[in-house]
Amino acid sequence: MERENRLLQTIIEGFKDIFYIWKEELRNVFRDQGVVIFFFLVPIAYPIVYAFIYNHEVVRDAKLAVVDQSDTYLSREFTRRINATADVQVTGVYSDMEEAKRALDRKEAYGILYFPPEFSKDLHTGKQTTVSLYSDMISMLYYKAFLVSSTNISLEMGKELRQRNDPASTAELQNILVNPVPYEEVAMYNPQSGFATFLIPAILILVIQQTLVLGICMLGGTARERSPIHNIFPPSLHYQGTLRIVLGKSLVYLMLYSIAGLWVLGIIPRLFEFPQIGNPVTILWFTIPFLLACIFMAMTLSGFMTSRESPMLVFVFASVILLFLSGISWPKEAMPTFWKTISHLVPSTPGIRGFVRINMAGATLNEVAYEYQMLWVQTGVYFVTTFFVYRNQIIRAQRYSAD
Amino acid sequence: MTSENPTYTLWDIVKREIYRYYTHPIYIFGMIGAPLFCAFFFLTLMKDGLPTDLPAAVVDMDNSKLSRELIKQLDAFPQTQIITRTTSFTEARIEMQKGHIYGIYFIPNNFSADATVGKQPALSFYTNASYFIPASLQFRDMKTISTLANASVGLQQGLAKGYTEDQIMAQLQPIKIDTHALGNPWMNYSVYLSNSILPGLLQLMIFLITVHSIAMEIKFGTARKWLKMGGNSLTKSLIGKLLPQTIIFTVVGFTFCSLLYGYNYFPLNTGWIPMLIAMFQLVIASQCVGIFMIGVAPIPRMGLSVASLFGILTFSVVGFSFPLSEIHPSIQALANLFPLRHYFLIYIDQALNGRDWFYSWPQYVSLSAFLLMPLLIGANLKKALLYIKYIP
Repeated sequence: MERENRLLQTIIEGFKDIFYIWKEELRNVFRDQGVVIFFFLVPIAYPIVYAFIYNHEVVRDAKLAVVDQSDTYLSREFTRRINATADVQVTGVYSDMEEAKRALDRKEAYGILYFPPEFSKDLHTGKQTTVSLYSDMISMLYYKAFLVSSTNISLEMGKELRQRNDPASTAELQNILVNPVPYEEVAMYNPQSGFATFLIPAILILVIQQTLVLGICMLGGTARERSPIHNIFPPSLHYQGTLRIVLGKSLVYLMLYSIAGLWVLGIIPRLFEFPQIGNPVTILWFTIPFLLACIFMAMTLSGFMTSRESPMLVFVFASVILLFLSGISWPKEAMPTFWKTISHLVPSTPGIRGFVRINMAGATLNEVAYEYQMLWVQTGVYFVTTFFVYRNQIIRAQRYSAD
Repeated sequence: MTSENPTYTLWDIVKREIYRYYTHPIYIFGMIGAPLFCAFFFLTLMKDGLPTDLPAAVVDMDNSKLSRELIKQLDAFPQTQIITRTTSFTEARIEMQKGHIYGIYFIPNNFSADATVGKQPALSFYTNASYFIPASLQFRDMKTISTLANASVGLQQGLAKGYTEDQIMAQLQPIKIDTHALGNPWMNYSVYLSNSILPGLLQLMIFLITVHSIAMEIKFGTARKWLKMGGNSLTKSLIGKLLPQTIIFTVVGFTFCSLLYGYNYFPLNTGWIPMLIAMFQLVIASQCVGIFMIGVAPIPRMGLSVASLFGILTFSVVGFSFPLSEIHPSIQALANLFPLRHYFLIYIDQALNGRDWFYSWPQYVSLSAFLLMPLLIGANLKKALLYIKYIP
C-alpha cells in the first residue's frame, strides 16, 4: 500500500518537475534574442526570401549571339524562330566568330549559335548540315535553355524541309512520313522544371532542422556559461531526474516547432503556389518523427557546446553539406558509399527525401516507409544519447555538490 | 614609460591573438578544420563529375523485337540504367514515388506493328523533375532515343526504297545541333559546383570568424584592453587581430586553388596568378565585410546571426545555381555586396573561359573597394567596443 503511494507520489512529482522545467525552458527561449531569431525569425522569413529569390522558376530570354555565315532565308528563319522561343533571346547577329566571342566576353550574350557558310546549300542538296552551339558555362540553366530551344527548332524545321522535299498525296500521309513515331515528354511533379519547385522543399526541411539545432545548442551553451560548474541546467531541486529534464525541454521545442512546422511545410508552399499534391495528413504523420529526431539530435549536440556562440561556427556551414547529402541535388546513386553511410546520421536526409516525395509526388507513408522508419530509428537513438548526455550532467552536478 | 602603461607593438597584438587559438580550439576548427573538411567533402562527393547509370524503369506493353531493341539502346546510354521493367504504368509510378527511379519510358501496345504500317504509335517518357540533375540527364537520353526510334523506322522505310544511309539521315534529321560547353566540355558538375561552393564556404567561415573574434572582446570585457594595446587606434588593433587570420585563410584559400586546379586539373586557362590574386582579395574583402557586420550589430549573438544568415544567403544570390539575370533587381544589387559574386565572375572569365584581363579588372577593383567598408562603420564599432557591456 505504502509502496503504491510512493510510486504515485513519484509520478505526480515527476509531472510537476516536467511542468516546471517546461515553463523554465519556455522562458529561456523567449528571454534570449539569439534563440528567438533562430526559432521564430528565420523559419518565418527565410522561406519567403528563398521563394522571392527563385520566384522566376526558369530562365527566360537567355541571351544568344548568332554567327550567320550562311545568311540565307533558312538560317535567318532559324534565327527568327529561336528568338521567338520563351527561353532564348537573340541579342545580335554577327558575321564572324571573333565578334561573337567578344560579345560573350562583354557578357552581352551567354551563347553562340553558328551557321556554317554551307548551311543552306547542304539543305538544298539533300545533305545533313550541322549547326554549332557554344554555351558559356556560367550557368547550367543557360546551357539547358540554348540546347532545348535549338534542338526543338532543328527538329521542327527538319520536318518541314522533309515535307517539302518529299511531298505526299495527303497531309495525313505527309505527317506519317515525316513523323512515323511521335513522342511525348512529361516532366512529372514539376511541370515547368522550375528551380524553386525543385530546391525550396529541401530548403524548408533544412531550415527546420538547422534552426532547431542552432537554437537548442545556443540554449545549451548559454546555460553552461551561466552555470558555475559548466552544467547544462541550473542547480535546482527540480533538475534531478534525467527523464524529467529531457521530456520537459523537448516538449517546449516540439510545441514551438509544431507552429513553425505548420508555417514552413503547410502554409509557405500554398502561399507561393508550389506544386503540392501530398495529403496533409500524411505530411503531418511524417513531420512528427522528423521533428522528434531533430530535437533529440540537437539536444544531444547541445551537451557538447561550451559557449553560446560556438554552435554558429560549427553548424551553419554544415547546412550546405547536408543539402548535398540529401541527394536532392547530387543524386544519391552517384555518391561514394562513405558519404551515403554518413548521410543516414542526420534527420534532414530522410526528411528531405520523404517530404519531397510526399509533397510533390503524392507518395503515401507506404512509399516513404524506408525514410519514415529511419526517422523513428533516429528519434530512438538520439533520445538514448540525449538521455546519457543529461544523465552525465546530473552525475557531475551531484559529484560537485558532494564535494 | 611606467609598467602600468607599457607601449605595445603590432606584434604584441598578433601574439595575443595567436595565443587565443591555443586556448580556444574553435578558431582552428573554423579557420582550418571546417574549410578543409568541406573541400574534402565536395571533391570526393562529385569525383565522378557526371552521374552515371541513373536508375529508370521501362513499361514495355509491346514486348516486340523493336521495343526490346529500343530498351537495349536506352540502357546503353551512360547516364541511364534500366533497373525495372513493369507491365503497368501504375507500378512504375509507385517505383518513382518510392524514390527508386528517376524516369519512366513507356512503349505502348502494338508499337512495332503500328509503326510498320504507319499508324504513328506514340512513345512517351516521364522524368521526375523534382530532382533536377538526374531528371535533366535522363530527359536528354530518353529524348535522344525517341528521336532515334523515329529515325530507325524511317531508316527501314528509306532502305526499302533504295536510298543510301547518308541520304536517309539527311532526310530524317536535316539539321544537326553540335553542342559545345565552353570551358567544361565534359559537363563536369564538380567543375561547375566545387569552384563556386568552396570559395563560398570560405567566405562564410571568414565572416563568422571575423565577427566572432571581435565579438569575443566585447563578451569577455577585454575590448578596452585590446584597443589600448593598439594605442587607441581601431585600425592598428584590427590589423593586429585580423592579420593572423588573413594569413591562415589565405593559405587555406590557396590550398583550395591547388586542390581544384592542381590536384584535380580543373580548367585554369589564364594560369595561377589571376586566381591566386582573386582568392587573396576574397579573403581580405570578406574580412572587411565581417568587420562591417559586427560594426552594424555589435552584440555577439546579433553579429554572428547576421554573418550566418547572409553568409548562407550568398550561395543563392551570386548566381551559380540560378542565374542572377532571372532574380529580382533588388537582389541583383544586393549580390554585389558580397565578395563572392566578384570572385565568381573572375573565376568564370579567367579560369573557366580564359578571357583577357581587360574584362576582369572591374571585378578586381570591386574586391579592393571592400577595403573601404570598415571605414563606414569604424566610429560605430569603436564606440561599441568602448561602451557596450555584454549582456548574456
